[in-house]
Amino acid sequence: MMNHDAVVFKGVRNGIKIYIDSDYSSEDILDTLKRKIEAGKRFFQGSEINLTFTGKKLTAGEQQAIIELVSREINIGSITFDIGKTVYSDPEPVEFFDGIEEGITRFVRGTIRSGQLVSYRGNVVIIGDVNPGGEIIAEGNIVVMGTLRGMAHAGAGGNNKAVVVAFSLQPTQLRIGTVIARPPEGEVVKALYPEIAYVRDGNLVIEPYLPNKGR
Amino acid sequence: MGEVIVITSGKGGVGKTTATANIGTALALSGKRVVLVDADIGLRNLDVVMGLENRIVYDLVDVVEKVCRLKQALIRDKRFEGLYLLPAAQTKDKTAVSPQQMQELCNQLREEFDYVLIDCPAGIEQGFKNAIAGADKAAVVTVPEVSAVRDADRIIGLLASNDIMDPRLIINRLRLDMVKRGDMMDIDDTIDILGIDLLGVVPDDERVVVSTNRGEPVVLDDDSLAGRAYKNIAKRLMGEDIPIMELNTDEGFLARLKRLFNAGKKRAL
Repeated sequence: MMNHDAVVFKGVRNGIKIYIDSDYSSEDILDTLKRKIEAGKRFFQGSEINLTFTGKKLTAGEQQAIIELVSREINIGSITFDIGKTVYSDPEPVEFFDGIEEGITRFVRGTIRSGQLVSYRGNVVIIGDVNPGGEIIAEGNIVVMGTLRGMAHAGAGGNNKAVVVAFSLQPTQLRIGTVIARPPEGEVVKALYPEIAYVRDGNLVIEPYLPNKGR
Repeated sequence: MGEVIVITSGKGGVGKTTATANIGTALALSGKRVVLVDADIGLRNLDVVMGLENRIVYDLVDVVEKVCRLKQALIRDKRFEGLYLLPAAQTKDKTAVSPQQMQELCNQLREEFDYVLIDCPAGIEQGFKNAIAGADKAAVVTVPEVSAVRDADRIIGLLASNDIMDPRLIINRLRLDMVKRGDMMDIDDTIDILGIDLLGVVPDDERVVVSTNRGEPVVLDDDSLAGRAYKNIAKRLMGEDIPIMELNTDEGFLARLKRLFNAGKKRAL
């Protein structure tokens, strides 16, 4: 995500909406903000402008710094912080990622260990294991080229068509779209072959993955 | 220039301090110059396990705060020439030291010693951050229990994000009888999850408790299995290629049959 801008301005009906990318530090954000305001100085002059900040969660100090920065150049009508949601500066944010057939994909090499989280607005491929306590949240499909022992949420935007595939599927919990499932209590059966999980008639089912069947 | 190795686990009570004392003693037994650093400020134990608590005058915090010189705080072991202990302070807490200060301290110690072993406190907060700040390598101690392995996994992740790559694993307190009955995670299960190299397996041994209470590391007890395991760990740290003690953990015929049947079954969550 780092090739995106830390800050993206977008004109909305009643003013300007400013997306702040969660992947950037507050220095980067302030720098980019300053640069962009400087570049559009002319545009911002004149009438009062309503600003809404959204995206990265900001501390009170960071909010104050932003207010100080923008108020120097812009005649502010109102300023709102609508923050805390993870937003990558996607200029055209879609309702949810629904690229089940194709779409942006993140590849992660290495094991996702307890306490680690991979969250992405697209498909996720893990080249390694996902250990108990590790979490994968993807708006698209999840493929684990190893053992999935942690939690995986595919179709996290509400897409029940997403799938989870792993070389060995032993999740602590599995979520696809709006369906949540956990393995049955009692003796754990270790699958020694790849499996695929998907939603069928509102239920999460797991089947051996058969290459010629596709699903 | 010596090596700085942090001995850590995440979870408490898995045997970090015992491991530190015994590996250190075993290294000293082989003629290495070793210093044990107790980074568990406020809950110091290493001095007790080593039987050196009544010799403490200055501690780690005194050194860092420059109340005394480093040499003054180092306690020479009563048994071995080349073995020293830098005790933790008991009346302070983890905030008394910063990671930078620990780094400086480790760099000073590595000038003097072949091995600097740091006994890390439990947890992942300030004390952990201090303990790993100056380390080149890490040994992660776990017991074959799901909760301890989970914490070890978290620790391995945190070590990697602090640029301490490829830590090695010590599986402590393994009970052969329980593993054989299938009541305990075996070595393969543990390594399968953690995915790091094994430094050693220490069997559960009553003598460890006895020796800890007496302040005599168990490596000095030639009859103890655990003592032998710690000696092997020390040898592996020195680069020797010692095989892991052979443990017979064949699964029974029935268990294998059951697994065979369960494979191929369609599973609905």
